[in-house]
Amino acid sequence: MKLFPARTAVVTACLLATACTGGTTESAGGDDGGGSTATLRYLIEQQEDASSQEALQEHIDADFTQESGIEVEVESLPLEVMRTVLQTQLRSGEGPDVFAWGSGPSFGGALAEAGLVRDLTSDYEEHGWEVYDFARERVTVDGKVYGLPGEAETIGLYYNKDVFAELGLEEPQSLDDVRAASEAVREAGMTPMAVGDKEGWEGGHLLSMALSSAVGSDGMEALVSGEQPWTSPEVVAALQLWKDFDAAGFLPESPTSVDYDTSTALFFSGDAAMIPTGSWLVAEIEDNADFEVGYIPFPAPDGPGIFAGGLGSGPYVSANTDDEDASLEFLDFLASPEHAQWTVENLATIPPREVDSDELEVSPLFGQVLEDTAELSASGDFGYNIDVLVSDAFNEAMYDGMQAVFTGQSTPEQVAATLEAAQS
Amino acid sequence: MTAPAPALAPPADPRRPGPPGRRSHLPAVTRRAQARLGVLLVLPLLVVMAVFLLFPMANAIYYVFVDFDGIDLTPPFVGLDNFSELFRDPKVWAAFKNNAIWIVLGTIGPLVLGLALALLLWNVERGSVVYKVVFFLPYVLPQVAVAVVWGWIYEPSRGWLNKVLDLVGLGAFTTGWLGNPDTALYAVLATAIWATLGFVFVILLSALRTVDTDLVDAARLDGANGAQRLRHIVLPQIMPVFLMITTITLLGGFSVFEYVFVMTGGGPAGATDVLGTYAYSSAFQLNRISYGTSLALVITLMAVPFAVWLNRLQRRIALDGPGA
Repeated sequence: MKLFPARTAVVTACLLATACTGGTTESAGGDDGGGSTATLRYLIEQQEDASSQEALQEHIDADFTQESGIEVEVESLPLEVMRTVLQTQLRSGEGPDVFAWGSGPSFGGALAEAGLVRDLTSDYEEHGWEVYDFARERVTVDGKVYGLPGEAETIGLYYNKDVFAELGLEEPQSLDDVRAASEAVREAGMTPMAVGDKEGWEGGHLLSMALSSAVGSDGMEALVSGEQPWTSPEVVAALQLWKDFDAAGFLPESPTSVDYDTSTALFFSGDAAMIPTGSWLVAEIEDNADFEVGYIPFPAPDGPGIFAGGLGSGPYVSANTDDEDASLEFLDFLASPEHAQWTVENLATIPPREVDSDELEVSPLFGQVLEDTAELSASGDFGYNIDVLVSDAFNEAMYDGMQAVFTGQSTPEQVAATLEAAQS
Repeated sequence: MTAPAPALAPPADPRRPGPPGRRSHLPAVTRRAQARLGVLLVLPLLVVMAVFLLFPMANAIYYVFVDFDGIDLTPPFVGLDNFSELFRDPKVWAAFKNNAIWIVLGTIGPLVLGLALALLLWNVERGSVVYKVVFFLPYVLPQVAVAVVWGWIYEPSRGWLNKVLDLVGLGAFTTGWLGNPDTALYAVLATAIWATLGFVFVILLSALRTVDTDLVDAARLDGANGAQRLRHIVLPQIMPVFLMITTITLLGGFSVFEYVFVMTGGGPAGATDVLGTYAYSSAFQLNRISYGTSLALVITLMAVPFAVWLNRLQRRIALDGPGA
């Protein structure tokens, strides 16, 4: 008893120390000696709306399990938890058979290089899976395709059509139009743009959309590939743009204090007239907004700009799955046009493949998003959502950098220099 | 604990004085059986300790000497590179500074406020249980829940803190509490102090109940004022408890994580990062497991001397009195 506090301290500290150690236990590939009943575990990121997971489970049970006899258990984890446990689970053989995960070097690319996911190159040819070319490139590492692309996402600017009509404003066609509209909205006593950057990742999207419209798709490619330095004047200008918007009162007070949910609530409640974010918000807008909403690319300095595009989480097959054939059959189902149509109609997500929009029953807003995405995917003229294409270290520099710009901790030039250092 | 109770011990044989001291008079068979039973009884705990403490600890020590990214199972040996980088990393020093602020204010704040509250309610009989429950309640609430709710309170446009400030004419002081690098750490710290205050209050109030009030009355008759009575009469008598609470709150300053992680995530731009959150982000967001582990070990090494020193001080005072 006499040493209780000290021991407690040591134990607590040791636990803290050990808390950061990832497990490297390498067990034999998950052979649990069970029978041959095929039951797959499908791990997805936790949905904001819990009913989405239930709907997905029911859809799989009805349209896949009944035909194939293969049971699929849909499991979910918060993204942050998945980041910490997925690699360990996959390596230990205790992980899911199929799991949805992001593309790009920090996500699927890292797993592919570690040999933790199955090479699907030949399966694409065998099953005839059709996805947009740009989407397939995002899940390709060293010429091998490792996953199915997740839903396509665009990032742009939503605006409240009713408020714009009341104030006599037209749809913005340039940055000057955005400034003029913001001033009019501010004068009317509303918040022009619902921007929150408390979590940090929102800042990556803000930079992505402003920069994509400013430099175009080729310019973004040059920046992400390293051909063009991040200290370029265009990058500094894109950072400065948000700082100026904040200083002009176009954003909520202290954007770094406002989280994403609060920013969307500001828009849904009609307190804010615009919100710069991604196409994933469409479903929530339809559920929560009782006004007409328009969705446009974030305008460029001299024109309408382009959408920034990216991919959400898509399915991969674990290299250690106990039942490779069943997993591939399930993947074939997930790649089917029928499943794509179901996701459009039930989850309001945009599949990474063409869908026949004539057969779909969707809202005008979502229909427009679908058409925009199809056009963009065909033309290839879209910007980049930076955070899915770069390293974790770059993302951290970008998230912190945008917050530092908002709070005055750093200048746009300093942040640009930090981004360049993180790139190299 | 291990000596058999005298009443159960066999009577001593006067013809056979036997060796003095600890040798048992039990038959050897019984002693062996007792030893086996003892081993069996402690075995579960030993296994738990080995699995959940010793093995992870050894694992952690291994990781600090390699560069493990969570993927490569054969990470390269890097010697002390993780530690040398750690000492050159400005973010570590910024986080350490925040920990230092937390340790000082997060220790002094609850102690001073908790002691003041306990003194106020020392002789209050009526409703004392209600006061205890009201003040203790935040301590038993999950830290995450407390952090989330306070996050709403601090929210600049809809949180009630700014609204109250506006209402009472202090609108000039409104700000984005958690998004302003000048206020964010202190806003989080205030939440933690609020949640810890009740614990300190209840423990100190219990300790005050043991204070010899005759001594207090005698000091009052001798002309000692309130501060003098507190310093020379009351505090010495509750010092062991006071030091115990100091140890707990001070060590909490080293290992602080939940409040910062939930309320600010270390932001804006690292302004509220503490060593715990920086270790977490290094290990799990940047996949630098070894670097994060090194940081966690450093936190451990910093906390242990304080814990040992305070514990020894507490024991000495408990045994010898505060003047020792």
